[in-house]
Amino acid sequence: MTRAVVLGGGLAGVLAAVALTRHADEVVVVESDHYPAGPRPRRGLPQSHHNHVLMTGGIRALDALLPGVVDDLLAAGAHRRNLPGDCLIFSGEGWFHRVRTEADLIACGRPLLDEVVRRHAAIEVVQGVAAVGLTGDTRKVTGVRLGTVTDGWKHIAAPGRAGGIAEIRTTTGAPLGDLPEIARSEVIGADLVVDATGRRSAAPTWLAALGVPAIGEITVPSGVAYATRLYEGSGEIPAVLVHPKYTPARGGTLFPIEGNRWIVTMTGDPPLDEAGFLAYARALRDPVIADLIEKAKPAGPIRPCRDTANRRRHFEDAELPEGFLAVGDSVVTVNPVYSHGMSVAAMTALRIAEEGPSQRAVAEVADRSWRMAVAEPRKGGDAKVGRAVLSSAGLAAEVFHGQALIPAVRDHQAVFRAMVDDLVEPLTAEQAISQFAWAR
Amino acid sequence: MALTISDDVIWQETADGVSLYHTETGAFSTLNETGSKIWMMVEQTGEREPIALSMSRAYARGNEAVSRRIVTEVNQFIGAMVENGMLLEEA
Repeated sequence: MTRAVVLGGGLAGVLAAVALTRHADEVVVVESDHYPAGPRPRRGLPQSHHNHVLMTGGIRALDALLPGVVDDLLAAGAHRRNLPGDCLIFSGEGWFHRVRTEADLIACGRPLLDEVVRRHAAIEVVQGVAAVGLTGDTRKVTGVRLGTVTDGWKHIAAPGRAGGIAEIRTTTGAPLGDLPEIARSEVIGADLVVDATGRRSAAPTWLAALGVPAIGEITVPSGVAYATRLYEGSGEIPAVLVHPKYTPARGGTLFPIEGNRWIVTMTGDPPLDEAGFLAYARALRDPVIADLIEKAKPAGPIRPCRDTANRRRHFEDAELPEGFLAVGDSVVTVNPVYSHGMSVAAMTALRIAEEGPSQRAVAEVADRSWRMAVAEPRKGGDAKVGRAVLSSAGLAAEVFHGQALIPAVRDHQAVFRAMVDDLVEPLTAEQAISQFAWAR
Repeated sequence: MALTISDDVIWQETADGVSLYHTETGAFSTLNETGSKIWMMVEQTGEREPIALSMSRAYARGNEAVSRRIVTEVNQFIGAMVENGMLLEEA
């Protein structure tokens, strides 16, 4: 393969580009937005204001793709927490004991993660240029038609055209080579075009314009909305998660992130006003998050997120032309309950790096996350085992390894012990909180 | 007929009887007193006929009809345990 063009310079696009450097002579990333000068939210990524965590599967994949990136992320202020060892979790069954598993999460602001990854990736990114279509036919995609965002979508006609010239930078400062000419032309020829333009991807429309049959698509509403707010707060705190038990699915999370801040998310149907947000947190099954944020200084407005539907496009089942691959949220978008999006992007990229581009492999990596996101709550099961999860390392591993997208474990001895032994006395809220060096 | 406890079974003698957990099927059960005795004999002797004979001697008190019923019921119990994968039996 000589040239791969990745559409979208978000996390999925940049990581796919990193992976493709092992398979292509030249990899170009085209991003319609402009990256901010520092780790700040950008206009083209509205979800960057909201909570993002990397799960163990994603952490491992990211470090395998870009060795050292996780250490740099932690050095920049991200926080690593074991699940449930470093987390205060009030699940439907009760409070978790601090048992340790192999499941971890890394919490940080999305802008920080994107910046650290881009720094490590050393991938050339053409900014301010958007794809508006594909070239080729039903058998082969041969390139991308480009435009810029000025007054709507406009094709680049000629160098020097006012408002129409792509701003071109590299993430490394390396020579641009022939990139300026590529970006000034209307079409970039490519042996492989990768769509990583996210949940608003127009790739199905572009493919249809080439005569490709419609891509199968499933949408499953999540039924929840989110509201997020940043607070000033110490990093010396566990991640705090209060899950809903019954509908309405009202819950809340608090994760420490870089810059001595907490990112606090209310899920369900949270109000967006100051008093309402706090009252909503206080009305959760336990008011622990409300107690924390009540004393903390807000570090920004309350931001809503209502675009939480789960959507899957079955590109892998379509008769796709050669030279096209879709990755990331363009393929599978899941509601943020399990915070899987970034991890799936990293795991997908690692699979591409190891095996080459494959739409089937993309679907396989995303499948576990998709199934978890759209699964109906489990009914039945052994109630005693369900409660024993709270205090059994073996049973907790079974739960959290799944959520962390690492190989599932089945600790039969732990299941047996849960059935035979007397249950550990459930923790009260005060006991659960006192497991950490922090008083209510 | 040689009987062995399946490697897929985790078991333990408790105050309530022998508790069994089949790790592949997820089946869990606690045997009553008689079942627990048979299970412990399987673990110790590993032979179907001596187990049935021993149970018959212990409980029939010389009554031929009761003895036959006990042998039948022990064999049914062992057969059920073989069928659900808790025990393995080889000729």
